[in-house]
Amino acid sequence: MHDRSILLVEDNPDDEALTRRALAKNNIQNEIVVARDGAEALDWLFGTGPHAGRAATPELVLLDLKLPKVDGLEVLRRIRANPSTRLLPVVILTSSREEKDVVTGYGLGANSYIRKPVDFGQFVEAVRQLGLYWLVLNEPPPRPDAA
Amino acid sequence: MTGTGLSLERRIQIGFGVAVAIIAGVGAAALRSTQATVDSARWVAHTLQVRAELEGAFADLIEAETGVRGYVITSDTSYLAPYHAARTTLRSGLAGLRALTADNPAQQRRLDSLETLVATRLDRLQRTIDTRRTAGLAAAARAVIGGGGKELTQLAHELFTRMEDDEARLLAERSATLQARARLARLAAWTGVLVASVLAGLAGVLVGREMAARRRAEQALRETQTRFQQMLGSSTAIIYANTVSGTTFSPSWVSENVTRITGYRSDEPLQPSWWLDNLHPDDRARVLAEMPALFADDQLTTEYRFRGKDGAYRWVHDESRLLRDATGRPIEVVGSWVDVTARREAEVSLRAGEERLRLLVGSVRDYAIYMLDPDGHVRSWNAGAQHIKGYTEAEILGQHFSRFYTPEDVAGGRPAAALRATAAGGRFEEENWRVRKDGSRFWADVVMTAVRDDRGALVGFAKVTRDLTERKRAEQALRSYAAQLEVANKELEAFSYSVSHDLRTPLRSLDGFSQALLEDYHDRLDDTGRDFLQRVRAASQRMGTLIDDLLSLSRVTRGDLQVAAVDLSALAAAVATELKKSDPERAITFAIAPDLVARADAGLMRVVLQNLLGNAWKFTGRRPAAHVEVGVMAHDGRRAFFVRDDGAGFDMAYAAKLFGTFQRLHAAAEFPGSGIGLATVQRIIHRHGGQVWAEGAPDRGATFYFTL
Repeated sequence: MHDRSILLVEDNPDDEALTRRALAKNNIQNEIVVARDGAEALDWLFGTGPHAGRAATPELVLLDLKLPKVDGLEVLRRIRANPSTRLLPVVILTSSREEKDVVTGYGLGANSYIRKPVDFGQFVEAVRQLGLYWLVLNEPPPRPDAA
Repeated sequence: MTGTGLSLERRIQIGFGVAVAIIAGVGAAALRSTQATVDSARWVAHTLQVRAELEGAFADLIEAETGVRGYVITSDTSYLAPYHAARTTLRSGLAGLRALTADNPAQQRRLDSLETLVATRLDRLQRTIDTRRTAGLAAAARAVIGGGGKELTQLAHELFTRMEDDEARLLAERSATLQARARLARLAAWTGVLVASVLAGLAGVLVGREMAARRRAEQALRETQTRFQQMLGSSTAIIYANTVSGTTFSPSWVSENVTRITGYRSDEPLQPSWWLDNLHPDDRARVLAEMPALFADDQLTTEYRFRGKDGAYRWVHDESRLLRDATGRPIEVVGSWVDVTARREAEVSLRAGEERLRLLVGSVRDYAIYMLDPDGHVRSWNAGAQHIKGYTEAEILGQHFSRFYTPEDVAGGRPAAALRATAAGGRFEEENWRVRKDGSRFWADVVMTAVRDDRGALVGFAKVTRDLTERKRAEQALRSYAAQLEVANKELEAFSYSVSHDLRTPLRSLDGFSQALLEDYHDRLDDTGRDFLQRVRAASQRMGTLIDDLLSLSRVTRGDLQVAAVDLSALAAAVATELKKSDPERAITFAIAPDLVARADAGLMRVVLQNLLGNAWKFTGRRPAAHVEVGVMAHDGRRAFFVRDDGAGFDMAYAAKLFGTFQRLHAAAEFPGSGIGLATVQRIIHRHGGQVWAEGAPDRGATFYFTL
């Protein structure tokens, strides 16, 4: 299955709601799939566990780092290790501004690193820009199963 | 000289003696040979004389017979003359022969027979004469014919002939002997001449050689004398001689370098009182007291001060020897004099240095300083050693130093290993446990040094031991604190991470949903409700800023300093540019001194300048035209960088609060801020080992200084 969905990996319902709101305010209409932890995100992407046989490739992954079960950086490592998701655009969207997280994130192949601002206005602006860039301007990589 | 053991003179004497002996022998042989020749010649003459006498006697006999026959025939008595003559001559002739042949018994015997024969014949001739005269011619003629006279003559002739033959034989023998002796004499003479010539020639060569050697020796002696003179002239030792009579000396000679060394003319030291006059008064009694030793030991070595011509006293090393004649009577004192002032001064300063060192070592209490012999036995002990190790000097001298080691180390051979390592490397250093007299252990810093003499032979070891037990404990405590700190830092880091991630999350909810309320329920809220929501949002955002600032403050205390040359001028200019960009409307000028370069962490210095320039920017916000200056000045011999503004300033009474965390001197409504910026600046400056301080007055601006 391939569509223009966005995989939002986020354990905090508040942040999920705010992110949905920010996306909506920016008129981003793509389907939002939410994974509440890293394991769920991986199951969804690779068609394992509860999602057995239903592997999906989203348009974009918005990845929080601090997650229950499997943390965000591990999720990123697995995504990059798998041939089917190797080229998938992943934007780290997190509260952390720790340098080591930024460095590790990019080192594992993150396409962007965005820190969630406290000011919602700024957050909306950030989501607007990343949506514009990754969903409109950016030419996505060819999909492995579409080739 | 050759190695024969005999001197050349002796050999020449022997050569000449042999030559003289040979010449004397040859002379004697020649003399004897000549004498023999003369004797032989006399014997030859003797033989010839005997033969002549024999022939004469025989002829006389024949003439006597002939005369008698004539008388018989004629009776003329004149014919009897030869007979009468013969009677006389024959008697004397035969007597002569007897004398001549006295040495020859055979001839004497023959002479006896001959005398009888001759006498008998002469008697017959007498009877014939008598017969003629008395009996006439005829009787006489018969007597002649039958008288047997002819046979008698014949016998006499035979005897004469035999005697002649014997003499002839003797003549031949004597002639041969004569010739042989003459030959021997010649040979002896020539041999003597030859041997004498060879010996004379040999002696001449030897004498010539001896003369040449003597000339060479004299030349060498002259050269040696010259060299000796030159050497004495340049020597630092003055040589002198005194004649001795009884126990008094009188100077007799001194080498000429006395002038160069002491300044005195060479005749001055020969004045009898010169030496005593110039001997230092303080040394006089001692040196004079030493004099009897010269007569007791025949030598004396002493040192004293002596006044030179320039009046200055110099230390002199004087070595003298007493010479005696064959009877043991002292006749002369010879000696040498050397100026040893420099050595004496060096010795004095060395002794002073040693004394100072001894006092110093003795007074040191925090270091055990002591000496070991090459086998490790304690040879000296100081107060520090007693203090640290507990043994008194009397207890420990002569003991082996291994007793300072723990039993484990002694069993492991560490004392011997330390000695070997020190002897091999010259120095050995370790920190380890040692044992005090009371058995307690202390942590020692030990330095061992090998002590060697001038020739490099090991004479012992110097040991310096410090008790580092307290320091060791402190280090252990420090290490434990450091470990605890490490843990605390790790926890803090984890905490900071949580803060940055988890504390911000609810703030986003507060802000985000407040905004959602304002947007989605705008018409259901009155102005007061909307104002409250705005306040919620503002508080959320301020707390976000606070959290960020706190995180950055904690970040500057973590991580290593990356120290390098930093261009503060360029950094300040960059920060100023950012500030101007944030509000291009502001009328503010930045005056940044060029070439402000310091060794610091570039990233942290950027944070410092961001805070200081940011403050200046902020607190000049109400000035229509603001002025900010960045520069450097001297402060207590160090360079102090400063950032000066002409903004709101502050009251110096609160200056101490400026750098405290969350301390603010202005109301947030007046100037926004978290109160963390200057605390961050202070932490960064302190991490660089520098200082930061501020000057200011309300409404008169503020200046922030920092050193690095």
